Amino acid sequence: MQALKSALKEIAGKHGLGAATFVGITVMIWVIILIALPQIAMLDYSFRFNLPASDVGGPQDVYTLENYAYFFQGNDGTVNTLDIGILVRTLVAAVFVTCIDILLCYPIAFILAHSATGVAARMMVIGLIVPFWVNEILRAFAFRVLFGATGLINGVGMSMGLWDQPVDFIRADVALYSGLTYAYILLMVFPIFNAVEALDRNQIEAARDMGASWWRVHWRVVLPVAKPGIASGATMVFMLTAGALAAPQILGGPSSLWFTQLIYQWFNESANWQRGSAYAVILLIVCISFVMMLMRVFKVSIGEIGR
Amino acid sequence: MNRGTGGGAVAAGFSLLFFSFLFGPLIIMVITAFNSSSFPRITPWECFTTEWFGVLFANDRLMSGLLNSLVIAVSVVAIAVPVGLAGALALSELSSRLRAVLYTVLITPILIPGVVLGISTIVFWGALGRSVGAEYGSFFFSGMFLTLAGQVTFVSAYAMLVFLARLQRFDPILTEAALDLGATPGQAFRKILLPFLAPAIASAAFLTFLASFENYNTTVFTILSGNTFTTALASKVRHGTDPSLSALAVIIIGLTLIGAIVHEAYTRRKEVLRSGIARRSRIYSNPVLKTLVHPLTVFLILAGVAAFAAYEGTRHDASVCKQQILDDKRARQHELLEEQRRKMQEQQKTVAPVVSPSEGPAKANPSPFGGAFSPNGLTPGQNAPASSGTPAEAPATANPSPFGGAFNPGALKPSP
Repeated sequence: MQALKSALKEIAGKHGLGAATFVGITVMIWVIILIALPQIAMLDYSFRFNLPASDVGGPQDVYTLENYAYFFQGNDGTVNTLDIGILVRTLVAAVFVTCIDILLCYPIAFILAHSATGVAARMMVIGLIVPFWVNEILRAFAFRVLFGATGLINGVGMSMGLWDQPVDFIRADVALYSGLTYAYILLMVFPIFNAVEALDRNQIEAARDMGASWWRVHWRVVLPVAKPGIASGATMVFMLTAGALAAPQILGGPSSLWFTQLIYQWFNESANWQRGSAYAVILLIVCISFVMMLMRVFKVSIGEIGR
Repeated sequence: MNRGTGGGAVAAGFSLLFFSFLFGPLIIMVITAFNSSSFPRITPWECFTTEWFGVLFANDRLMSGLLNSLVIAVSVVAIAVPVGLAGALALSELSSRLRAVLYTVLITPILIPGVVLGISTIVFWGALGRSVGAEYGSFFFSGMFLTLAGQVTFVSAYAMLVFLARLQRFDPILTEAALDLGATPGQAFRKILLPFLAPAIASAAFLTFLASFENYNTTVFTILSGNTFTTALASKVRHGTDPSLSALAVIIIGLTLIGAIVHEAYTRRKEVLRSGIARRSRIYSNPVLKTLVHPLTVFLILAGVAAFAAYEGTRHDASVCKQQILDDKRARQHELLEEQRRKMQEQQKTVAPVVSPSEGPAKANPSPFGGAFSPNGLTPGQNAPASSGTPAEAPATANPSPFGGAFNPGALKPSP
C-alpha cells in the first residue's frame, strides 16, 4: 500500500496530478473489475448447481463440488475417461505443436537476426507479419481448402498416382496440427528474434575460430542466449494452442474434440453454465500449473514473457 | 561469412520453405475464389469467375456482423489504448518488487485462454446485473457491452506491451529539464512524454483494432446471441463452405498488402530523408521518381489498380463457360447412363434365366450403389437361411430400376 502511494506520488510529481489520478483509477479498474472479479465470479459459479432462474438465490442455491466431481467421475461414479482423455490429448497436442513451432522458428529467428541484411531482412519481417493480419478463421479455412477430401494436396497426390483414394487429412488431425502450428508462428519468431539479436556476432566468430562445429556453436553459444525468448514464445504458443477454439472447430476431426470445445458445448448446447465454468477453471489451472512447472524446470521467470 | 553458423545456401533454402509454408495456403485460398466450382478448390479447374464476390456481399449475416465488429473495434481502441498507457506508466514508476507483481497480473489476460476470459466476463456481469436487479434488456445482458468488457481486458495488455517497449527508450532527463525550466508536471506530460509516445500510440491503436476485430475465442461467448464479423464467419465455415469465403480472403489480403506496401514506402522515405542521403540518392534527386515513391502516390496507384480490377471483375461474365461445363457434365452423365442401360440389358438376357437367389440381385443390379439398396438388403428373410429363396424375392431379382428396387412394393414386405 505504502509503495503504491509513493509510486502515485512519484507520477504526480513528474506528470501532474491529472495523470496520476488517471493512472491510479484506470489501473485499479482494470485489475479489479476487468481481471480479478470476473475470475472470482467464475470460480464461485463453478461451485453451484444448475438451477432454473426462479431458484437462483433461493434455499437450493448452495455450494457443491458436483461439477468437478463430474469431470473426474462422470454420472455413474466410474472414472470419466472421455473428458479426462480429451484434456490430456489437448495438452499433448499443444506441447507437440509448441515443439514444432520452436523447431521452425528458431532457425528463422536466427537467420533474421544474423544472416539476413538490408532489403532481405525487411522483406522477411513484412512477410512474417502480413499473413497474420488475415483473420484467424480465414487462415484455418485456408488449411481446410488445402487438406480437404477434394483439396489441393489430395488432388495433386492422386493425379501423380501417389495414392488413389482421397486421404482424410481432417480425420487424421494433420490439418488441425498444421493449422495450429501456422496460427501462432509469429508469437514464437519475435521473442526468439529479440533474444538472439542481443547476441554479439563476435562470440559466434570466436567460437568458430576455435574450431567449434556449427551445431556446437548453436548449442553452446546461441541457444543459451535464445533461451528466455524460446521460453516466452513457447509459453504463449502453448497457452494459445491449448485455449484455441476456432481452429479445432474448423479443422478438427469429427471424432476428436479439443477441451475448449467441451467447454463450448456445456455453455451453448447443454446450457449448463456452471459445469462449463468448472471445466474452464480446470483448463485454466492445468495450463497455468503446467507452464509454471516447465518454467521451474528451465529456470525462467514470468517477468520475461512478453518482452 | 555465414559458414559455420548454418548460413548461406541452407539458410536461404530453409527461409524459402518457411515462407512457402506461410504464404502457400493463402495463395491457394486466393486462387479458389476465382474458380466457379461450388466447393473451394483448384483441381479440377472449371471457370474463371467473379460471382463469389457477389455472393459474399449478399450475405446479410456477415455484413451486419461487420458493422458490429467495426463498432466494437473502434470502442475497444478508444478504451484499451488509454488503459494500456496507464498500465505502462504505472509499471514504469513502481518499485521493482511491486512491479513484478503488477506485471504478472496485467499480463495474465493475454496468457489465459480466451474461452476462460469470455466465460468469466458473462458470468460476472450477469451476476452483477442480477444483484442490482437490472432488467434483462439492460447493458449487463447486452452482447455488445459484454464483448467490449471482455476484449478490453486482454487487448489493453497488448497496448501496454507496446507502450512499455517505447517507454524503455524514454530519457527521463527530458521531463526533468522541462520541470526545471518552469513547466508544470501536467505541461511536461502533455508536451514531452505524450509526443514522444505518439508513434507508440499509433501502433498500439492499430494492434488493438486488429486484435479486437479478429478475436474469436472470447467474443463467441460474450456476444451472446448476436454476431460479429468473426463469429459469423466461423459459423459459416463450420456449416458448409463455399468460395465466397475465399473471395473475402482476397479482399482482406489485398487491403493488407496495400497497407504494408504503403507503410514500407512511408518508413523508407522517412529513413532516407532523416539520414540525409536523399540528396545523393538517384531516386530522390529526380523529381519524377521522387513523387513516384511518395507514400501517397504509391497508395493512389495501388488503390487505382484495385479499383480497376474490381471494375473489370464486375463486368466479367462466366455464364458461357459455366454453361459449357454444365453441358459437358450432362453429356458425360448421359453417356454413363446409356452405357449402364446397355450393360444391364445384356446382363438381363444372359443372367436372368439362371439367376440363383443368393447371387442374382447383386449381379443384375445396375445401381451405382453396388446393390447396397438391393431389395434383399431390406427383406427380413435375407439373413435367415431358412427363408432364403422365398417367392417374395423372385420378382425383384431382375429389377432394372436405378434405385435397385428400393421402391419395389415387395421390398419392405416381411417374408412369410
